[in-house]
Amino acid sequence: MSSLKKTPVLIVATAVAAALSISAAVAMGDKPPASAHVSTSQAAPTPAIAGTFAKAPDPAIPPLAPLGEPPIPPDNPMSEAKIELGKLLFFDPRLGGDASISCATCHDPEQGWSWAEDFSRGYPGTVHWRSNQSIINAAYYDKLFWAGSAPSLEAQAPSAAKGGVAGNGENDLMEARLRLIPEYVKRFNEAFGEPWPTINNAWKAIAAFERTLVQRDTPLDKYLLGDKSALTEQQLRGKALFEGKARCILCHNGPLASNQKYYNIGVPRAERWLEDGLAQVTFRFQYYSKGSTEELYRKAKDDVGLYFRNKNKWDMGKFRVPSLRYIGYTAPYMRQGQFYTLEEVIDFYDRGGFDEDGNTTSYPDTKTPLITKLNLSDEEKEDLLAFLEAFTGEEILMAKPKLPGYEPLFTLAELEAAQAAK
Amino acid sequence: MAGMMTTRPFLLKRGFLVTAALGMGLILANPVAVAGADIGPLPTLKVNQARAELGKRLFFDKRLSGDAAISCGTCHKPEHGYANPDALSDGYPGNKHFRNAPSVINAAHKTVWMHDGRIGTNLNDVTRGMITESYLMNMDMRIMQERLKQDPVYVEMFKAAGLGEPSNGGARKAIPEYLKTLNSEGAPFDSGNMTAEAKRGLQLFKGKAGCIACHNGPMFTDGKAHNTGVPENFDVFLDPMRHQAFLAYAAFLGIENYMNLKRDPGAHVQTHAADGSDMGKFITPSLRELKYTAPYMHNGMIKTLPEVVAFYNQGGGKDRNKDSRIKPLGLNAQEQKDLVAFLLALSGKPLTSSRYVWTEGYPQEYEAIANWLDVPN
Ligand code: HEC
Ligand code: HEC
Ligand code: HEC
Ligand code: HEC
Repeated sequence: MSSLKKTPVLIVATAVAAALSISAAVAMGDKPPASAHVSTSQAAPTPAIAGTFAKAPDPAIPPLAPLGEPPIPPDNPMSEAKIELGKLLFFDPRLGGDASISCATCHDPEQGWSWAEDFSRGYPGTVHWRSNQSIINAAYYDKLFWAGSAPSLEAQAPSAAKGGVAGNGENDLMEARLRLIPEYVKRFNEAFGEPWPTINNAWKAIAAFERTLVQRDTPLDKYLLGDKSALTEQQLRGKALFEGKARCILCHNGPLASNQKYYNIGVPRAERWLEDGLAQVTFRFQYYSKGSTEELYRKAKDDVGLYFRNKNKWDMGKFRVPSLRYIGYTAPYMRQGQFYTLEEVIDFYDRGGFDEDGNTTSYPDTKTPLITKLNLSDEEKEDLLAFLEAFTGEEILMAKPKLPGYEPLFTLAELEAAQAAK
Repeated sequence: MAGMMTTRPFLLKRGFLVTAALGMGLILANPVAVAGADIGPLPTLKVNQARAELGKRLFFDKRLSGDAAISCGTCHKPEHGYANPDALSDGYPGNKHFRNAPSVINAAHKTVWMHDGRIGTNLNDVTRGMITESYLMNMDMRIMQERLKQDPVYVEMFKAAGLGEPSNGGARKAIPEYLKTLNSEGAPFDSGNMTAEAKRGLQLFKGKAGCIACHNGPMFTDGKAHNTGVPENFDVFLDPMRHQAFLAYAAFLGIENYMNLKRDPGAHVQTHAADGSDMGKFITPSLRELKYTAPYMHNGMIKTLPEVVAFYNQGGGKDRNKDSRIKPLGLNAQEQKDLVAFLLALSGKPLTSSRYVWTEGYPQEYEAIANWLDVPN
């Protein structure tokens, strides 16, 4: 590979060869069987793929683009009051079981609004089983979580606050807590016009706050908006690789650098499950709680991803394409944090979806043919790495706000009067 | 399955029978006697020893709570008769409770549980309620099961108990089996060793003081809910840590206008009388093991037994729903002492030895299953 000279001729030749092998693989079936009516957004590789490698950008693949405003759902319009309230709630550990961790504990602003270990920290007494995802730009996804199991931020928040290895909170108790915090009673009233805080309005406020956590001024955005000095020469070479030889653009495309579809790209099983008892506990819990068959519960030794949602065999081990924005702050990478650096990620792609020990997906049948050996030179890898950095702008930091306290709802005099009237 | 055994030596049981016969005779001669009110010893329960042993380990295991911080034994303390010395119980971390934690000694002899009687099925359901309730142990039982499966000691014990691999269902069978081993043992009333004072107290209990109208049967409870006018414990409402649990409880049980509620509804959560006439009714508690279980009443508002007796002597508290049988008794100082002596004669020896308490400790960490890839989950 290193002997390959970087000449235009060779690039084209490699690209054509790659395109051919893709077509062949596609014919063998990355798609679900024709007989099945699938509603998932599994990407069917388009015939236009070959075109990606030609000079003119193919219209079927949305080009990288500056990030616009996040979509706002009509039933949860933004307001200052709501956003401010959502911020407080995001940092408030009382929206959880034992009131010790908040959303912001796991999605720590100083760790990229994420958690810098392979598996996310869990609720006290547990560890999570997936890598933590950043909140930055989460507002743009149609479906949240690694396997896309939540349809909106409003629906995602309760599952985060209530899930046994996340917040482990319970609606009635969390709602009661909010009602005993006079500052919240006032703020909920301002934001929603209802007499008492409700837990559903809490999720709405958090979602509104999350929609403000976006980054739209990365070097890449600036470049795409016309500031040609925003990317270095090296980054521009990397960009060409991203859109060409390295084929990242097939999936990491459009303004979000994600087509929001699901693939098995060959990420191997997390080693941690073999060594960590607490992680083994959570692993089985996930299979138990996600409604697996007895057989799957007994036999599973890796994360089946999208399969949990629709139980289609061909979706085993597929995950949502993550955005590449803000990844400068969100290591480690992949669904179980299999890689700690972007260098490792690039090497993984270069090997065609294998780690340095030659490990690949536990579900080889569903691995996408779009991932094959790339034959990148060391210099090309560096160029690509430099370009990946252009997806990240300034670090978004936020101090933990001062949280309002509980107050008794009744005075002693009121209670005494009620007692006397019994 | 390991051998079945009884909780008490047979000889003692015969002693109980004698006492029971005596007790019945006395009741018959008494004007306030109630049908089925025969006080006496508790029947002996058959116990599956291997299951009970497993239940014992579970009862004191903090890994049965969501954040692994508290066990059943944290609130139901052996040295306090498996009740709690605080007027109001602790709760799961992050909140506190709004009621007194009752003793679980003899709980297996009951047919209705909780101060408001909201569980009337079996201890299996009570156990589930305790483990899963957000303000008690807040445990997703699916995680609990996987924690148990990760502990080789449990894998062995579940098997020995005939319960297969560790499971929620198995845990909910084993804990009630363990509760069956917690019975009054050697109470002077049961063994026929009451002092003269206590014997006089027994007469008052059944006679002039009228206690037996509600506190009857071997458990000294009619299993029904009554209003005795115990005043509210204002801490429930003044401490937001408690009030939040109370609100969650009231919301869940469908109490109207619960944000405005300034009293514990008690059995109203079950009967929902439109006129509120069932407000403040609580299930008659057992009177066994009171020696260890102060303070008293659903909210711990009465600190000592003499104060309880004084409370009844003055005709209970103030409440328009109060039971008509709760009225001034006119007991003199000696009579009150006698009654207290009798109540104390209903307490046995403390159940604090390793026969009842798991003393062998627990692993600090979850050991990894070494050949994880090769064994089924
Ligand atoms: C115990 C740690 C933890 C806590 C607490 C937690 N999260 Fe998460 N969060 C995670 C992990 C891990 C994931 C990925 C889980 C998965 O895909 O299965 C995640 C995923 C998300 C996502 C999806 C992002 C994406 O790209 O799809 C959002 C949004 C989110 N969390 C918001 C929240 C909010 C809001 C709260 C508080 C109500 C919260 N989280 C609390 C660990 C946590
Ligand atoms: C076939 C679609 C596809 C292609 C092509 C592709 N990716 Fe990905 N990428 C994914 C998916 C899916 C994941 C998540 C996989 C997982 O966790 O199992 C991912 C994850 C990543 C991540 C980790 C992001 C995070 O937050 O953890 C990075 C970085 C990344 N890809 C970069 C690249 C680069 C660079 C290329 C080109 C060399 C590329 N990808 C090509 C689909 C693709
Ligand atoms: C956080 C404190 C706490 C923990 C932990 C706890 N309990 Fe309780 N328990 C209570 C309180 C308080 C009540 C009374 C609740 C009520 O009346 O609403 C109670 C009631 C009971 C009762 C009913 C007693 C009766 O006579 O009505 C039983 C039985 C019981 N608990 C068993 C258990 C078991 C078994 C566990 C462990 C699985 C457990 N408890 C854990 C506080 C606790
Ligand atoms: C009308 C039925 C009734 C009568 C009569 C009655 N009790 Fe009670 N007793 C109750 C109820 C109901 C409670 C629980 C009240 C509460 O928790 O608020 C109770 C509670 C108690 C308690 C507290 C037990 C504990 O574990 O907290 C003691 C002790 C007691 N009674 C003793 C007596 C004595 C002694 C008498 C006779 C002087 C008596 N009771 C008469 C119904 C009755």
